[in-house]
Amino acid sequence: MTMPDTPILGGDGAAPARDGRIDGRRLRSERTRRLIIEAYIALVRETGQMPTAAQIAERAGYSVRSIFERFPDLTALRVAVTDHAIAEARASGALRDLDADRLTRIMSQVDQRGRGCERWLPLWRVLSSDLSDAPDLQQRIQMIRQLSVMRMEMMFRPELSTVADAVRKKTMLALEALMDFESWARMRELYGLSFEEASAVWVKAIDRLLPPTPA
Amino acid sequence: MPTAVQIAERAGYSVRSIFERFPDLNALRVAATDYSLAQALALAPPRGADGDRETRLRSQVTTRAHTCERGIALWRVLLQFADQDETGQLKQRVARGRETTVGRMELMYRPELSSLPEAERHQLLIALEALTDMESWARMREQHGLSFDEACEVWIHAIDRLLPATPAAMKASAAA
Repeated sequence: MTMPDTPILGGDGAAPARDGRIDGRRLRSERTRRLIIEAYIALVRETGQMPTAAQIAERAGYSVRSIFERFPDLTALRVAVTDHAIAEARASGALRDLDADRLTRIMSQVDQRGRGCERWLPLWRVLSSDLSDAPDLQQRIQMIRQLSVMRMEMMFRPELSTVADAVRKKTMLALEALMDFESWARMRELYGLSFEEASAVWVKAIDRLLPPTPA
Repeated sequence: MPTAVQIAERAGYSVRSIFERFPDLNALRVAATDYSLAQALALAPPRGADGDRETRLRSQVTTRAHTCERGIALWRVLLQFADQDETGQLKQRVARGRETTVGRMELMYRPELSSLPEAERHQLLIALEALTDMESWARMREQHGLSFDEACEVWIHAIDRLLPATPAAMKASAAA
Protein backbone atom coordinates (compact mmCIF):
# COMPACT_ATOMS: atom_id res chain seq x y z
CA MET A 1 0.00 0.00 0.00
CA THR A 2 1.30 3.39 -0.89
CA MET A 3 1.05 5.89 1.92
CA PRO A 4 -0.13 9.34 0.92
CA ASP A 5 3.20 10.88 1.82
CA THR A 6 5.31 8.09 0.31
CA PRO A 7 6.94 8.79 -3.05
CA ILE A 8 5.08 6.95 -5.82
CA LEU A 9 8.34 6.22 -7.56
CA GLY A 10 11.29 4.93 -5.65
CA GLY A 11 14.79 6.31 -5.93
CA ASP A 12 16.38 9.63 -5.34
CA GLY A 13 14.60 11.41 -8.15
CA ALA A 14 11.03 10.69 -6.97
CA ALA A 15 10.66 13.06 -4.03
CA PRO A 16 12.02 16.13 -5.79
CA ALA A 17 9.61 15.47 -8.69
CA ARG A 18 6.61 15.55 -6.35
CA ASP A 19 7.95 18.52 -4.39
CA GLY A 20 8.56 20.20 -7.68
CA ARG A 21 4.89 19.79 -8.61
CA ILE A 22 3.80 21.20 -5.25
CA ASP A 23 6.25 24.06 -5.53
CA GLY A 24 5.07 24.70 -9.06
CA ARG A 25 1.43 24.87 -7.97
CA ARG A 26 2.32 27.12 -5.07
CA LEU A 27 4.38 29.37 -7.29
CA ARG A 28 1.58 29.59 -9.85
CA SER A 29 -0.92 30.37 -7.11
CA GLU A 30 1.32 33.08 -5.65
CA ARG A 31 1.87 34.50 -9.11
CA THR A 32 -1.89 34.60 -9.72
CA ARG A 33 -2.41 36.32 -6.38
CA ARG A 34 0.28 38.88 -7.17
CA LEU A 35 -1.13 39.55 -10.63
CA ILE A 36 -4.60 40.12 -9.16
CA ILE A 37 -3.16 42.61 -6.66
CA GLU A 38 -1.15 44.36 -9.36
CA ALA A 39 -4.24 44.54 -11.60
CA TYR A 40 -6.17 46.18 -8.75
CA ILE A 41 -3.42 48.78 -8.23
CA ALA A 42 -3.09 49.50 -11.95
CA LEU A 43 -6.85 50.05 -12.30
CA VAL A 44 -6.95 52.39 -9.31
CA ARG A 45 -4.04 54.42 -10.73
CA GLU A 46 -5.81 54.73 -14.07
CA THR A 47 -9.33 55.51 -12.91
CA GLY A 48 -9.05 56.73 -9.32
CA GLN A 49 -12.02 54.46 -8.57
CA MET A 50 -12.42 51.23 -6.67
CA PRO A 51 -12.44 48.53 -9.38
CA THR A 52 -15.07 45.80 -9.63
CA ALA A 53 -14.25 42.10 -9.49
CA ALA A 54 -14.98 41.80 -13.22
CA GLN A 55 -12.59 44.65 -14.07
CA ILE A 56 -9.83 43.18 -11.90
CA ALA A 57 -10.30 39.73 -13.42
CA GLU A 58 -10.20 41.08 -16.96
CA ARG A 59 -7.06 43.13 -16.30
CA ALA A 60 -5.28 40.25 -14.54
CA GLY A 61 -6.26 37.77 -17.25
CA TYR A 62 -8.14 35.44 -14.90
CA SER A 63 -11.77 34.60 -14.17
CA VAL A 64 -13.76 36.28 -11.43
CA ARG A 65 -13.88 32.88 -9.80
CA SER A 66 -10.08 32.83 -9.59
CA ILE A 67 -10.20 36.02 -7.57
CA PHE A 68 -12.65 34.63 -5.06
CA GLU A 69 -10.70 31.40 -4.77
CA ARG A 70 -7.84 33.47 -3.38
CA PHE A 71 -9.72 36.23 -1.57
CA PRO A 72 -12.99 35.57 0.28
CA ASP A 73 -14.33 38.99 -0.68
CA LEU A 74 -13.23 42.32 -2.13
CA THR A 75 -12.45 43.71 1.33
CA ALA A 76 -9.93 40.90 1.83
CA LEU A 77 -8.43 41.84 -1.53
CA ARG A 78 -8.22 45.50 -0.43
CA VAL A 79 -6.36 44.37 2.69
CA ALA A 80 -3.94 42.30 0.58
CA VAL A 81 -3.41 45.26 -1.76
CA THR A 82 -2.66 47.47 1.23
CA ASP A 83 -0.11 44.99 2.61
CA HIS A 84 1.52 44.79 -0.83
CA ALA A 85 1.67 48.60 -1.04
CA ILE A 86 3.13 48.92 2.47
CA ALA A 87 5.82 46.35 1.68
CA GLU A 88 6.70 48.03 -1.61
CA ALA A 89 6.75 51.51 -0.08
CA ARG A 90 8.99 50.33 2.76
CA ALA A 91 11.35 48.59 0.35
CA SER A 92 11.71 51.65 -1.87
CA GLY A 93 11.71 54.26 0.88
CA ALA A 94 14.86 53.51 2.81
CA LEU A 95 15.95 56.19 5.24
CA ARG A 96 18.59 58.40 3.70
CA ASP A 97 20.75 61.24 5.02
CA LEU A 98 19.95 60.46 8.66
CA ASP A 99 23.27 61.94 9.80
CA ALA A 100 23.23 64.89 7.43
CA ASP A 101 22.71 68.56 8.28
CA ARG A 102 19.24 69.99 8.96
CA LEU A 103 18.44 71.21 5.45
CA THR A 104 19.65 68.00 3.79
CA ARG A 105 17.48 65.91 6.12
CA ILE A 106 14.44 68.11 5.53
CA MET A 107 14.90 67.97 1.76
CA SER A 108 15.49 64.22 1.83
CA GLN A 109 12.35 63.63 3.88
CA VAL A 110 10.26 65.91 1.65
CA ASP A 111 11.56 64.33 -1.55
CA GLN A 112 10.82 60.82 -0.32
CA ARG A 113 7.37 61.76 0.97
CA GLY A 114 6.52 63.73 -2.16
CA ARG A 115 7.43 60.77 -4.35
CA GLY A 116 5.42 58.48 -2.11
CA CYS A 117 2.40 60.74 -2.41
CA GLU A 118 2.75 60.88 -6.20
CA ARG A 119 2.93 57.11 -6.41
CA TRP A 120 0.36 56.08 -3.85
CA LEU A 121 -2.22 58.88 -3.68
CA PRO A 122 -4.89 57.23 -5.89
CA LEU A 123 -4.58 53.97 -3.99
CA TRP A 124 -4.58 55.78 -0.64
CA ARG A 125 -7.83 57.54 -1.58
CA VAL A 126 -9.55 54.33 -2.62
CA LEU A 127 -8.31 52.27 0.30
CA SER A 128 -9.14 54.86 2.94
CA SER A 129 -12.45 55.98 1.44
CA ASP A 130 -14.80 53.62 3.26
CA LEU A 131 -13.40 51.87 6.30
CA SER A 132 -16.65 51.48 8.21
CA ASP A 133 -16.92 47.71 7.75
CA ALA A 134 -13.24 46.87 7.41
CA PRO A 135 -11.39 46.82 10.75
CA ASP A 136 -8.37 45.09 9.16
CA LEU A 137 -8.09 47.92 6.69
CA GLN A 138 -8.54 50.54 9.40
CA GLN A 139 -5.61 48.95 11.22
CA ARG A 140 -3.43 49.12 8.09
CA ILE A 141 -4.33 52.75 7.42
CA GLN A 142 -3.40 53.52 11.01
CA MET A 143 -0.14 51.61 10.54
CA ILE A 144 0.73 53.63 7.43
CA ARG A 145 0.22 56.86 9.38
CA GLN A 146 2.35 55.54 12.25
CA LEU A 147 5.15 54.52 9.88
CA SER A 148 5.12 57.97 8.38
CA VAL A 149 5.30 59.60 11.82
CA MET A 150 8.08 57.24 12.98
CA ARG A 151 10.08 58.12 9.90
CA MET A 152 9.81 61.83 10.65
CA GLU A 153 10.78 61.22 14.27
CA MET A 154 13.95 59.50 13.06
CA MET A 155 14.77 62.10 10.42
CA PHE A 156 14.29 65.02 12.81
CA ARG A 157 15.57 63.37 15.98
CA PRO A 158 18.28 66.00 16.62
CA GLU A 159 15.74 68.83 16.66
CA LEU A 160 12.95 66.92 18.44
CA SER A 161 15.32 65.71 21.16
CA THR A 162 15.85 69.26 22.40
CA VAL A 163 12.24 69.92 23.42
CA ALA A 164 9.87 68.65 26.11
CA ASP A 165 7.51 65.76 25.34
CA ALA A 166 4.48 68.03 25.06
CA VAL A 167 6.15 70.28 22.50
CA ARG A 168 7.47 67.29 20.56
CA LYS A 169 3.98 65.84 20.40
CA LYS A 170 2.52 69.12 19.14
CA THR A 171 5.25 69.39 16.54
CA MET A 172 4.68 65.83 15.32
CA LEU A 173 0.93 66.36 15.02
CA ALA A 174 1.54 69.50 12.99
CA LEU A 175 4.08 67.73 10.76
CA GLU A 176 1.64 64.87 10.21
CA ALA A 177 -1.09 67.29 9.13
CA LEU A 178 1.28 69.23 6.91
CA MET A 179 2.63 66.13 5.15
CA ASP A 180 -0.67 64.35 4.70
CA PHE A 181 -1.46 62.75 1.31
CA GLU A 182 -4.29 65.21 0.72
CA SER A 183 -2.09 68.17 1.58
CA TRP A 184 0.23 67.11 -1.23
CA ALA A 185 -2.72 66.47 -3.52
CA ARG A 186 -4.13 69.96 -2.97
CA MET A 187 -0.80 71.57 -3.81
CA ARG A 188 -0.57 69.58 -7.04
CA GLU A 189 -4.22 69.48 -8.11
CA LEU A 190 -5.84 72.59 -6.62
CA TYR A 191 -2.94 75.06 -6.57
CA GLY A 192 -1.27 73.61 -9.67
CA LEU A 193 2.22 73.50 -8.15
CA SER A 194 4.97 71.47 -9.79
CA PHE A 195 6.67 68.70 -7.80
CA GLU A 196 9.54 71.07 -6.98
CA GLU A 197 7.25 73.95 -6.01
CA ALA A 198 5.17 71.71 -3.74
CA SER A 199 8.36 70.33 -2.19
CA ALA A 200 9.55 73.88 -1.54
CA VAL A 201 6.34 74.65 0.40
CA TRP A 202 6.93 71.65 2.65
CA VAL A 203 10.65 72.31 3.09
CA LYS A 204 10.04 75.89 4.17
CA ALA A 205 7.18 74.95 6.51
CA ILE A 206 9.07 72.07 8.16
CA ASP A 207 12.07 74.31 8.68
CA ARG A 208 9.85 76.81 10.50
CA LEU A 209 8.05 74.15 12.53
CA LEU A 210 11.11 72.33 13.79
CA PRO A 211 12.95 73.54 16.88
CA PRO A 212 16.53 74.76 16.38
CA THR A 213 19.15 72.11 15.63
CA PRO A 214 21.45 71.61 18.61
CA ALA A 215 25.01 72.81 18.07
CA MET B 1 -25.34 60.70 2.91
CA PRO B 2 -28.99 60.33 3.90
CA THR B 3 -31.54 58.84 1.50
CA ALA B 4 -34.54 60.79 0.22
CA VAL B 5 -36.78 58.72 2.51
CA GLN B 6 -34.68 59.55 5.58
CA ILE B 7 -34.62 63.25 4.72
CA ALA B 8 -38.39 63.34 4.14
CA GLU B 9 -39.06 61.55 7.41
CA ARG B 10 -36.77 63.89 9.37
CA ALA B 11 -38.25 67.01 7.75
CA GLY B 12 -41.81 65.79 8.21
CA TYR B 13 -42.66 65.91 4.52
CA SER B 14 -43.21 63.37 1.77
CA VAL B 15 -40.45 62.24 -0.59
CA ARG B 16 -42.46 63.88 -3.35
CA SER B 17 -42.19 67.24 -1.55
CA ILE B 18 -38.42 66.98 -1.71
CA PHE B 19 -38.35 66.37 -5.43
CA GLU B 20 -40.86 69.17 -6.06
CA ARG B 21 -38.25 71.55 -4.68
CA PHE B 22 -35.01 69.87 -5.75
CA PRO B 23 -34.73 68.14 -9.14
CA ASP B 24 -32.41 65.48 -7.69
CA LEU B 25 -30.37 64.67 -4.59
CA ASN B 26 -27.32 66.42 -6.01
CA ALA B 27 -29.26 69.69 -6.20
CA LEU B 28 -30.23 69.15 -2.56
CA ARG B 29 -26.58 68.51 -1.64
CA VAL B 30 -25.59 71.78 -3.33
CA ALA B 31 -28.35 73.66 -1.49
CA ALA B 32 -27.38 72.07 1.85
CA THR B 33 -23.76 73.06 1.24
CA ASP B 34 -24.69 76.66 0.45
CA TYR B 35 -26.79 76.78 3.59
CA SER B 36 -23.93 75.39 5.69
CA LEU B 37 -21.30 77.72 4.23
CA ALA B 38 -23.56 80.71 4.94
CA GLN B 39 -24.23 79.42 8.44
CA ALA B 40 -20.50 78.88 9.08
CA LEU B 41 -19.77 82.46 8.06
CA ALA B 42 -22.60 83.82 10.20
CA LEU B 43 -21.51 81.85 13.26
CA ALA B 44 -17.85 82.68 12.89
CA PRO B 45 -17.33 86.38 12.26
CA PRO B 46 -13.68 87.50 12.41
CA ARG B 47 -12.91 88.58 15.96
CA GLY B 48 -9.80 90.17 17.40
CA ALA B 49 -8.29 91.02 13.99
CA ASP B 50 -6.71 94.15 15.53
CA GLY B 51 -5.42 92.35 18.60
CA ASP B 52 -1.90 91.36 19.43
CA ARG B 53 -0.37 88.20 17.94
CA GLU B 54 -1.46 85.92 20.77
CA THR B 55 -5.04 87.26 20.70
CA ARG B 56 -5.30 86.83 16.94
CA LEU B 57 -3.85 83.31 17.08
CA ARG B 58 -6.29 82.20 19.77
CA SER B 59 -9.23 83.85 18.05
CA GLN B 60 -8.54 82.37 14.61
CA VAL B 61 -7.81 78.89 15.96
CA THR B 62 -10.86 78.79 18.22
CA THR B 63 -13.14 80.00 15.44
CA ARG B 64 -11.71 77.49 12.97
CA ALA B 65 -11.93 74.68 15.50
CA HIS B 66 -15.61 75.36 16.15
CA THR B 67 -16.25 75.39 12.41
CA CYS B 68 -14.48 72.02 12.09
CA GLU B 69 -16.46 70.53 14.98
CA ARG B 70 -19.74 71.59 13.41
CA GLY B 71 -18.86 70.99 9.78
CA ILE B 72 -16.71 67.85 9.51
CA ALA B 73 -19.56 65.42 8.78
CA LEU B 74 -21.02 67.52 5.97
CA TRP B 75 -17.55 68.33 4.63
CA ARG B 76 -16.78 64.62 4.29
CA VAL B 77 -20.00 64.01 2.39
CA LEU B 78 -19.26 67.00 0.21
CA LEU B 79 -15.78 65.73 -0.67
CA GLN B 80 -17.11 62.23 -1.28
CA PHE B 81 -19.65 63.45 -3.82
CA ALA B 82 -17.70 66.34 -5.34
CA ASP B 83 -15.83 64.09 -7.77
CA GLN B 84 -19.04 62.41 -8.93
CA ASP B 85 -20.95 65.67 -9.45
CA GLU B 86 -20.96 66.26 -13.19
CA THR B 87 -22.28 69.82 -12.78
CA GLY B 88 -19.09 70.82 -10.98
CA GLN B 89 -21.13 72.76 -8.41
CA LEU B 90 -19.91 70.77 -5.42
CA LYS B 91 -16.26 71.18 -6.40
CA GLN B 92 -16.93 74.89 -6.71
CA ARG B 93 -18.26 74.93 -3.13
CA VAL B 94 -15.27 72.95 -1.86
CA ALA B 95 -12.99 75.53 -3.46
CA ARG B 96 -15.07 78.37 -1.99
CA GLY B 97 -14.88 76.80 1.48
CA ARG B 98 -11.09 76.61 1.22
CA GLU B 99 -10.84 80.18 -0.13
CA THR B 100 -12.87 81.42 2.83
CA THR B 101 -10.52 79.67 5.25
CA VAL B 102 -7.44 81.08 3.55
CA GLY B 103 -9.04 84.53 3.31
CA ARG B 104 -9.71 84.47 7.05
CA MET B 105 -6.08 83.62 7.79
CA GLU B 106 -4.90 86.40 5.48
CA LEU B 107 -7.04 88.81 7.47
CA MET B 108 -6.06 87.57 10.91
CA TYR B 109 -2.32 87.30 10.21
CA ARG B 110 -1.99 90.32 7.96
CA PRO B 111 0.72 92.00 10.08
CA GLU B 112 2.99 88.95 9.89
CA LEU B 113 2.15 87.98 6.29
CA SER B 114 2.71 91.53 5.05
CA SER B 115 6.36 91.24 6.00
CA LEU B 116 6.91 88.42 3.50
CA PRO B 117 7.52 88.58 -0.27
CA GLU B 118 4.49 87.51 -2.34
CA ALA B 119 5.81 84.04 -3.24
CA GLU B 120 6.75 83.22 0.32
CA ARG B 121 3.39 84.48 1.63
CA HIS B 122 1.62 82.20 -0.85
CA GLN B 123 3.72 79.22 0.29
CA LEU B 124 2.98 79.95 3.93
CA LEU B 125 -0.77 80.22 3.34
CA ILE B 126 -0.76 76.83 1.63
CA ALA B 127 1.03 75.34 4.64
CA LEU B 128 -1.37 77.02 7.06
CA GLU B 129 -4.33 75.70 5.10
CA ALA B 130 -2.94 72.15 5.23
CA LEU B 131 -2.32 72.46 8.95
CA THR B 132 -5.84 73.70 9.72
CA ASP B 133 -7.67 71.39 7.32
CA MET B 134 -10.89 69.78 8.58
CA GLU B 135 -9.31 66.32 8.48
CA SER B 136 -6.30 67.55 10.44
CA TRP B 137 -8.71 68.62 13.18
CA ALA B 138 -10.65 65.36 12.94
CA ARG B 139 -7.47 63.27 13.29
CA MET B 140 -6.47 65.10 16.45
CA ARG B 141 -9.91 64.61 17.95
CA GLU B 142 -10.87 61.14 16.68
CA GLN B 143 -7.57 59.35 16.25
CA HIS B 144 -5.28 60.98 18.79
CA GLY B 145 -8.08 61.54 21.32
CA LEU B 146 -7.23 65.17 22.05
CA SER B 147 -9.75 67.40 23.80
CA PHE B 148 -10.99 70.52 22.04
CA ASP B 149 -8.58 72.69 24.04
CA GLU B 150 -5.61 70.36 23.53
CA ALA B 151 -6.18 70.29 19.78
CA CYS B 152 -6.41 74.10 19.73
CA GLU B 153 -3.06 74.27 21.53
CA VAL B 154 -1.46 72.11 18.80
CA TRP B 155 -2.64 74.52 16.12
CA ILE B 156 -1.70 77.62 18.09
CA HIS B 157 1.80 76.28 18.70
CA ALA B 158 2.29 75.31 15.05
CA ILE B 159 0.89 78.53 13.57
CA ASP B 160 3.01 80.57 15.95
CA ARG B 161 6.09 78.76 14.68
CA LEU B 162 5.08 79.03 11.04
CA LEU B 163 4.36 82.76 11.11
CA PRO B 164 7.25 85.21 10.83
CA ALA B 165 7.89 87.71 13.63
CA THR B 166 5.27 90.42 14.07
CA PRO B 167 6.63 93.74 12.76
CA ALA B 168 7.47 96.12 15.62
CA ALA B 169 5.17 98.86 14.33
CA MET B 170 2.22 96.46 14.35
CA LYS B 171 3.04 95.35 17.90
CA ALA B 172 2.94 98.95 19.02
CA SER B 173 -0.39 99.70 17.31
CA ALA B 174 -1.98 96.54 18.76
CA ALA B 175 -0.77 97.53 22.23
CA ALA B 176 -2.21 101.01 21.81
